[in-house]
Amino acid sequence: MRRDTVCKIISNKQAGKFFFEMKAEWISAAKICAPGQFFMINIPGVFLRRPMGVHKIEKKTISFLYKVAGKGTGILSQMKKGKIEILGPLGNGYDLNIGSKTPVLIAGGTGIASLYCLAAAIKKKKGILFYGARSRKDLICLDKFRKLGWRVFISTEDGSKGYKGFVTEMFEKDLALRFREKENFSSYYIYVCGPSPMMNAAIKIARHYSLSGCVSLEEKMACGVGNCQGCSVLIDGQNKMVCKDGPVFYINQNL
Amino acid sequence: MNTKLNINFAGIKLKNPVLTASGTFGYGYELADLIPLEKLGAIITKTITLEPRLGNPQPRIAEVESGMLNAIGLQNIGVKNFIEKPLENLKKTGVPIIVSIAGKCGKDYAEIVKILNGFKEIAAVELNLSCPNLKKKIICHDVSLTKDIIKRVKKISKVPIIVKLSPLITDISELALSAQNCGADAVTLANTYPAMAIDIETFKPKLSTIKGGLSGPCVKSMSIRCVYDAYQKIKIPILGCGGIMTWQDAVEFMLAGASAVSVGTASLISPKNLIKIIDGLENFLSVKKIKSIKEISGAMKR
Repeated sequence: MRRDTVCKIISNKQAGKFFFEMKAEWISAAKICAPGQFFMINIPGVFLRRPMGVHKIEKKTISFLYKVAGKGTGILSQMKKGKIEILGPLGNGYDLNIGSKTPVLIAGGTGIASLYCLAAAIKKKKGILFYGARSRKDLICLDKFRKLGWRVFISTEDGSKGYKGFVTEMFEKDLALRFREKENFSSYYIYVCGPSPMMNAAIKIARHYSLSGCVSLEEKMACGVGNCQGCSVLIDGQNKMVCKDGPVFYINQNL
Repeated sequence: MNTKLNINFAGIKLKNPVLTASGTFGYGYELADLIPLEKLGAIITKTITLEPRLGNPQPRIAEVESGMLNAIGLQNIGVKNFIEKPLENLKKTGVPIIVSIAGKCGKDYAEIVKILNGFKEIAAVELNLSCPNLKKKIICHDVSLTKDIIKRVKKISKVPIIVKLSPLITDISELALSAQNCGADAVTLANTYPAMAIDIETFKPKLSTIKGGLSGPCVKSMSIRCVYDAYQKIKIPILGCGGIMTWQDAVEFMLAGASAVSVGTASLISPKNLIKIIDGLENFLSVKKIKSIKEISGAMKR
């Protein structure tokens, strides 16, 4: 059950040039929390709580991997010990029941944080990761995915590592190639998390190749529990709240 | 049971003066797993309209210094859907229910009140005449329309009518007085403040509607001034609203003249804040050896 509580900060370490990973002790949340769910984190010094997808679930702890992007995450990165107020777990996570399908993750930027949690949860299945970032300095979690034995394809916008361009272009090229070679990719089940334009592009591609899958949406929200209605989006012609009805939606929904 | 916090607000018996603010607590019953709803003085629902409304496009929320902007645009399921499920769930909480409503004209408001009249569990109706997030201008900026709405609704309503006003007005005490003269049983002072913010990276407004409603601690002192001004002029009770984050803020509103308070933005940040405010008020009365919360309404010394 979701709760609004105070947790002990176990660690909060740098995890890449612009990233930090904070681990908090919360046994009951660790037990029930699923990949794709999120928490509202109170950061003293900024007004609203920050929604963050869970990155790692261990026996007694949950972890958040975040980019230091502004005042709030800047303050958060300096909170090395002590307590932190967190509300969660919130929303619906990724659909993990994909039968014999191959999980294919498409991650843009910070989207990798929540998708890693998913990969770790289905570790028996070796999947494929398409991961794009601005430059090589922005890439994180690569060692973690290698440890899981996943195939990893990288793109950077500046070409400093891997394919030069957007991750969605790289993914589309891969699909086009397989299509030409008459390779079967109907077993792909895709999971998408990243900035909105990237997710929109990924959804378009998935529909073009009739792939099914999930996408984790992001909108500004104040409460995380459906009360402010700040994060409402139109899906299948109806208002859906990213916090409560999502953040994970199916690609075949009219997003 | 402790009765120190009991009040009678415009004829409604409340166990304490802490209410949820419209538009910040959903339809009222959804957070029963996070806080004990039965502790609340009353629940004011989000604003209901005659027909369902989709609300505004994204983005609808922006954080600002010590507060937030919203441009929800009265997204709601419409009164007919509201009475079917949410109201049924809300009844089960046992908390006094105040339904916030909005429309374009007196006829709309009266139409909704006619439907709500059928439910004896509804303790009062709050007329939202002050939503800043609609394409048309704020209703209470049109004084004759405001009067017409209140009079029409008062003619047919079976429960007390609370009128929620906008703080963006030359003299809020004048408007509160005309609400009283039209038969309003109480006023809520005040709604959010029309405001805006711009992203300096993209040069785009932070809300899809450009302008939205400002709430949070940054508006508190202005709303206290609204309450104080109106308290000098009107006899009907005032529901203080605007940036109340703590019990201390609630006390301040009451000293300025509010009989009760509604808490909105604070409960978005953590619903527990509602309970903390109630507990804080109770403790405050004990420490100060005050017998009843009623004694502090308008008790500011000069």
